[in-house]
Amino acid sequence: MTHEFAEFHEELRSVAGDVLAKDSCVDWSVLVNAGWVGLEVPEQFGGAGATFSEVAVICEEIGRAASANSYLGSAVLAVGTLNALQPSDTRDRLLSDVASGAVRAAVALESTEFVPDAEGADRVLVIADGGLAVASPAVTPQPVLDETRRLATVTADDGAEMLQFEGDHAAAVRRLLDRAAVAVACDSLGLCEAMLSATVGYAKVRHQFGRPIGSFQAVKHACADMQVSIAVSRQLVSAAVEAVAAERPDAATAAAMAKSYVCSAAVDVVGKAMQLHGGIGYTWESGIHVYLKRAALNRSLFGSPAAHRKRLAQRYL
Amino acid sequence: MTADLNEFRASVRTWCEEHVPADWRRAQTGVGDEEFVRFQKAWFAELHSAGYAVPHWPHEWGGGLSVAEQIVLYQELAAHDAPRLVLAFVGIHHAAATLLAAGTDEQRQRHLPAILDGKIWVQGFSEPEAGSDLASLRTSARRVGDSYVVNGQKLWASGGKHADWCLLLARTDPDAPKRKGISYFLLDMTTPGVEVRLIRNAIGDSHFCEIFLNDVEIPAANLVGAENAGWQVAQATLGAERGLTMLELAERLGNAGFRWLVEASPVDDPIVADRLAQFETEITGLRGLCRKVVEDNEAGTAGPADASIVKLYYSELLQRLTDFGVEIGGMAAHTQLAKPMSSGWESGSWMLDFIGSWEWTIPGGSSEIQRTIIAERGLGLPREPSAV
Repeated sequence: MTHEFAEFHEELRSVAGDVLAKDSCVDWSVLVNAGWVGLEVPEQFGGAGATFSEVAVICEEIGRAASANSYLGSAVLAVGTLNALQPSDTRDRLLSDVASGAVRAAVALESTEFVPDAEGADRVLVIADGGLAVASPAVTPQPVLDETRRLATVTADDGAEMLQFEGDHAAAVRRLLDRAAVAVACDSLGLCEAMLSATVGYAKVRHQFGRPIGSFQAVKHACADMQVSIAVSRQLVSAAVEAVAAERPDAATAAAMAKSYVCSAAVDVVGKAMQLHGGIGYTWESGIHVYLKRAALNRSLFGSPAAHRKRLAQRYL
Repeated sequence: MTADLNEFRASVRTWCEEHVPADWRRAQTGVGDEEFVRFQKAWFAELHSAGYAVPHWPHEWGGGLSVAEQIVLYQELAAHDAPRLVLAFVGIHHAAATLLAAGTDEQRQRHLPAILDGKIWVQGFSEPEAGSDLASLRTSARRVGDSYVVNGQKLWASGGKHADWCLLLARTDPDAPKRKGISYFLLDMTTPGVEVRLIRNAIGDSHFCEIFLNDVEIPAANLVGAENAGWQVAQATLGAERGLTMLELAERLGNAGFRWLVEASPVDDPIVADRLAQFETEITGLRGLCRKVVEDNEAGTAGPADASIVKLYYSELLQRLTDFGVEIGGMAAHTQLAKPMSSGWESGSWMLDFIGSWEWTIPGGSSEIQRTIIAERGLGLPREPSAV
């Protein structure tokens, strides 16, 4: 990554951190006005013409804040899906409307169940045989324990307009699934870092037996383990983001590695955070449960670790 | 830049194809000491004639490859399964880094070319009562005229029996706080009073040694850095070698190590396949981490605990991976009684590699010490209250 990009990402990260810290729920209009929704929308349609690398920065910050918003479904997936389609009036208008905030869309990518951010969406893009249906289907919320995510079942309607993917349909869908997996891995990386930082902060100030609990080796070493798995996670996420952004042929492999490792590690890291916070960590008020539930949900979203490793292992045969 | 690097990669590839001895692993399996030393020295000379033995040294001393080129070099050596430089290791890394950072011109002139000619070095740091707590070392060096007279005992001196020279830490001021009374010396192993005894390790070989020092005279000219500043000299040079040597080992794990694991595994068994994929993912993470640390070291942006993170992760991953190799290998894994010398810790003789993996989790700062460093220096957690 070039120096200018690194600087731009740092700036984006810092602004995002500030915006997301204000409230645990962030409205769609805030995401639109911040310019995050249109990041990947081409400039001719009113977007920023940026890449998945910038989107990944936002995903990580959203994870860090465990923010409840519709960025995953209505920006990451929706814009990624629209960009992968053959140009058409409908597609182009949708891209413009999404960038401007006039329309909020969701995508039924993996199945019509557990569709992120479909509730209240103006349009639902449903992957269908040989194409993509632009629908306004019936949406039934599927409540989950993680209150920071909104998932729903969509029931396709018949009158939907069908659009075509650019190039091979299956390959296009595969790339979208990889993108989705990496976006979730970014989210998990962000929430890991937030939890390590909270835990280290707490271990420095919480005293027992007349000393900060962070001076006890058992606590210290648990924090060190969190740090190590975060360091490894960051490498896998960076590699996957780069591969996806550049549409490299190894993107599927990098995505499977990042998703399987990071989303598993995140559950361990947040679990340790709850453990090291002691009784306070188990309270509703501490908010650590929010992170633990989100980490566990992330692990299941867009392919379990085992499913991703199964894809990796196909290469050994 | 990238084009140049691709060209460099191509030239290393060609060189490897022409020079990596075919079938060296089989030929070096279970060989005796004499053949091991001969093979190591010959391979070192071969690498050196290509400019690949000390790529990390400054140009005027025979190195001068950029960090990006060194990364490529180690990637390609690993990809072509080249033998590993075991015997020269302390000389080209620790000794050279010490001399370049803190040595006098005279010391550099004398020793750096000699290392290229094949002189072997050993590290004389640890002692029976100074393992993890290295700064409590007791070997004493007393100034007498133009010399120091040294008495004491060093332990875990890897490769001591073949060494020509020793990097020695000894206490020159017994009254100073423990880190402030240590000096750093270059010891000629042929000096009277130096006695090397072999220690047989858990896998049965004897590259670890004890070095007994009985009224050993070291000329004052062989002091490195100022008297009583040895601890700082040692810290600087221990850190200097971490990045690229770890990158080399990570690349080896990712190439030969993982390849053999896959070859030995029933990959159509979904449970086995799952664990292989897990290992491949972790090795990929490790390789990325090593590259990052090397680049950050170069840019001066490395964190204070980065080397510890890499060492800890490599050690424990190696242990789990070799353990899995044994598990997968079944009874046959237990029948491999010898491993190829000059390999890394991924020889494919999984039992020996597995038992040998404790050579990573214990020495060089045990995993427990690394975790403490990561927590204290990296995360800023408070130190353990002193026992004294």
